[in-house]
Amino acid sequence: MPEGTYCNKKPINTPEEVNFLLSDSSGTKYYEEMTRLDVDTELLVSTIEKTMKTRLKTWLEICAHCGMCADSCFLYQVNGKDPKQVPAYKIQSTLGEIVKRKGKVTNAFMRHAMEVAWAQCTCCNRCGMYCPHGIDTGIMFGYLRGLLYQQGFVPWELKIGAGMHRAYRAQMDVTDADFVETFEWMVEEYEDDYPGLTVPVDVEDADIFYTVNAREVKHYPEDLAEAAVLFHAAGENWTIASKGWEQTSLAMFAGDWAACKMQVESVYGAMERLKPKRMVGTECGHAHRATVIEGPYWAGRPDGRPPVESIHYVEWLAQALESGKLKIDPDKRIQEPVTLQDSCNYIRNHGLKKATRTIMQHIVAPGYFIEMSPNKEHNYCCGGGGGFNGIGVFRKQRNRALLTKRDQILATGAQLVIAPCHNCWDAIRDLEEEYEIGIRWSFLKPLIIKMLVVPDHMKPEE
Amino acid sequence: MFKKILFATSATRASDHAARVAFNIARAYHARLDIFHVLGVPSRGYSQVVVDIKTRERVDVDDDYMAWVQDEITTYYADYLKNGLDYDIHVAVGLPAREILRRARETEPDLILLGGSTEEEHDGVYKKTVAGTTLQKVARAARCPVLVVTRPAASFWGGISSITFGTDFSKASDKAFEFALKMALTLNCELHVFHALAITSLSSERLMSQDDIEQKIREKLRVIRARYEPRLKTLKQYTMEVWEGIPYMEIVKYARETHSDLIIMAHHSRKLETDDRAFGSNVEQVIVRAGCPVISINR
Ligand code: SF4
Ligand code: SF4
Ligand code: SF4
Repeated sequence: MPEGTYCNKKPINTPEEVNFLLSDSSGTKYYEEMTRLDVDTELLVSTIEKTMKTRLKTWLEICAHCGMCADSCFLYQVNGKDPKQVPAYKIQSTLGEIVKRKGKVTNAFMRHAMEVAWAQCTCCNRCGMYCPHGIDTGIMFGYLRGLLYQQGFVPWELKIGAGMHRAYRAQMDVTDADFVETFEWMVEEYEDDYPGLTVPVDVEDADIFYTVNAREVKHYPEDLAEAAVLFHAAGENWTIASKGWEQTSLAMFAGDWAACKMQVESVYGAMERLKPKRMVGTECGHAHRATVIEGPYWAGRPDGRPPVESIHYVEWLAQALESGKLKIDPDKRIQEPVTLQDSCNYIRNHGLKKATRTIMQHIVAPGYFIEMSPNKEHNYCCGGGGGFNGIGVFRKQRNRALLTKRDQILATGAQLVIAPCHNCWDAIRDLEEEYEIGIRWSFLKPLIIKMLVVPDHMKPEE
Repeated sequence: MFKKILFATSATRASDHAARVAFNIARAYHARLDIFHVLGVPSRGYSQVVVDIKTRERVDVDDDYMAWVQDEITTYYADYLKNGLDYDIHVAVGLPAREILRRARETEPDLILLGGSTEEEHDGVYKKTVAGTTLQKVARAARCPVLVVTRPAASFWGGISSITFGTDFSKASDKAFEFALKMALTLNCELHVFHALAITSLSSERLMSQDDIEQKIREKLRVIRARYEPRLKTLKQYTMEVWEGIPYMEIVKYARETHSDLIIMAHHSRKLETDDRAFGSNVEQVIVRAGCPVISINR
């Protein structure tokens, strides 16, 4: 059978199509149909010819099979040093084979490649730092995912996730109206405690344009209120956009390049419309990667940059603390052992390690901050990156992958883990659920609010 | 008095006491009852998996599952639902407090009814991430009165003949007074206005002398009179009283002494002190201790 009703090569574009795919619980029929999905060799070959950069081809060719990348990959370590988990092997046996065999691969091969691409690599890019030739397997896997997506070999949840972006320009079924409504609701809920709290919508020429993760809107809207409180406390001139507010991209995890472009263009559209001085994104790692690091290339921006300067929440926060815009009550700083999760997406891949350390200096009483080992750009993936967290069929593999982070955290002795990234936060939450090591975890915003010196202009009356 | 009631339930035994009251009230006032159940907490990042609050199982939530849960609830409350009760059953996914507030924002009920703490039933992990109880969060943010029933002893709403209103003289307390007064007028019952003078003994440097205490009590009584008595005169029967001690204890004792069938208080501790959940605010303490239903009002 070539194309299935649930599993096929066609992207999903509308809310109806999203719901249809969702109605197939756990993707049972979807995966069943996948076993009969044809491989379109011609399309595969022509896509590779058109899109595979020289850099990637060279990487495939020059790999010396020296295996120096092996130990750098946490999945290799955590899976009993299985040679099949060596980064070079993983990519050579999948992408490498497809190229070598000129696209003449079977359905079974593609399904195996899908498992390797989504359950044996989180695109954390750690191995790339250790390869003497600078070969970045994570980047190659990102590319392989694109080829697999195009052929319909993509995990069910990610097909849906990418479809959400196409249908809603958000990773979940949150409409533009829902977003603004929810933000306003939250501000109403908090305004008694913080007089003067507002949420400016579509204000042009603001200093800050704030973007979020749709999950905050859907399940954790307090996060929106907390962002508003902190901008307000810092006296910022900020705004949200009623369109182009979603910073994340499950499309990137899915390898749906066209949807990546659509999504990031909606954010860039808001930047062009509102002309803010800069964009600040929420505490999310992959959202930063999608919008700030990779987005410009998807959108074909000649200077390789977003339309306005775009920074991660931790950068804004570090600056606000350093400049004194936000003041911390020293007595309320964290006074227990605490550790920090370095998100690959903006620490390793965008060098923001200083910003997070500056924040720690402000919010943790001396002597209580304990680094994980290794840390900063050498930190390991939380275990759930690249979409791994949400994929039901690879749950077992994902749970195993959490062991690295579990042991890293245990070694610090800290019971509080700060995770300024949605994905990492989720993974750490799940690891507590799986392994019960007795930790708590938190984003930065709620912690900061608790220790903030509330400026006079926003003290409640009573 | 009440036309639209939002009854948030776990549809388990933890909510049984509250259910009795919910159905009592709905019948007594011919109110529309919106039975609302948050079936599970979202989990797994962006995946569709939800941890079912009742079974603790991980489930894929789709329309079929929602419909099934809805049926379950109908069956669970079958006895109550007979005889032309005007009701609606609604099921949602999310963090309970947030979804209850979301529903309330949509349907604008004039009363939210919550069962006892179902925290024990919740998945341990998510409980830790979402600091503060459902009760705290709803009572803090709701725009309408919140009625909470936690103890079986409190699960009766019959002919109400006596209401205790506890005040701390805050703005929120003034709002709560308006509501208490209206309630007493409508039900044609007694209203007992009460203030507890907080005596923090051991920790404070200097114990207040008995003379000081009595002096303070007289002062507070004057405040009560000035503030509430003119309005109270519209009632057949009312009393005003100030006691000293630990406020929530005194209120519970006082309500017992006046045979109150309902306590009304303001939820004035607006900011959530998430760290000491064990203590909570006075009204939360009253809720878990009172022998009658408690209504909390914050605006
Ligand atoms: S370290 Fe580099 S060259 Fe060596 S096997 Fe790994 S990818 Fe190939
Ligand atoms: S990118 Fe990360 S997960 Fe993927 S192979 Fe390299 S080290 Fe392993
Ligand atoms: S989830 Fe966090 S730790 Fe894992 S790859 Fe993404 S950013 Fe890195």
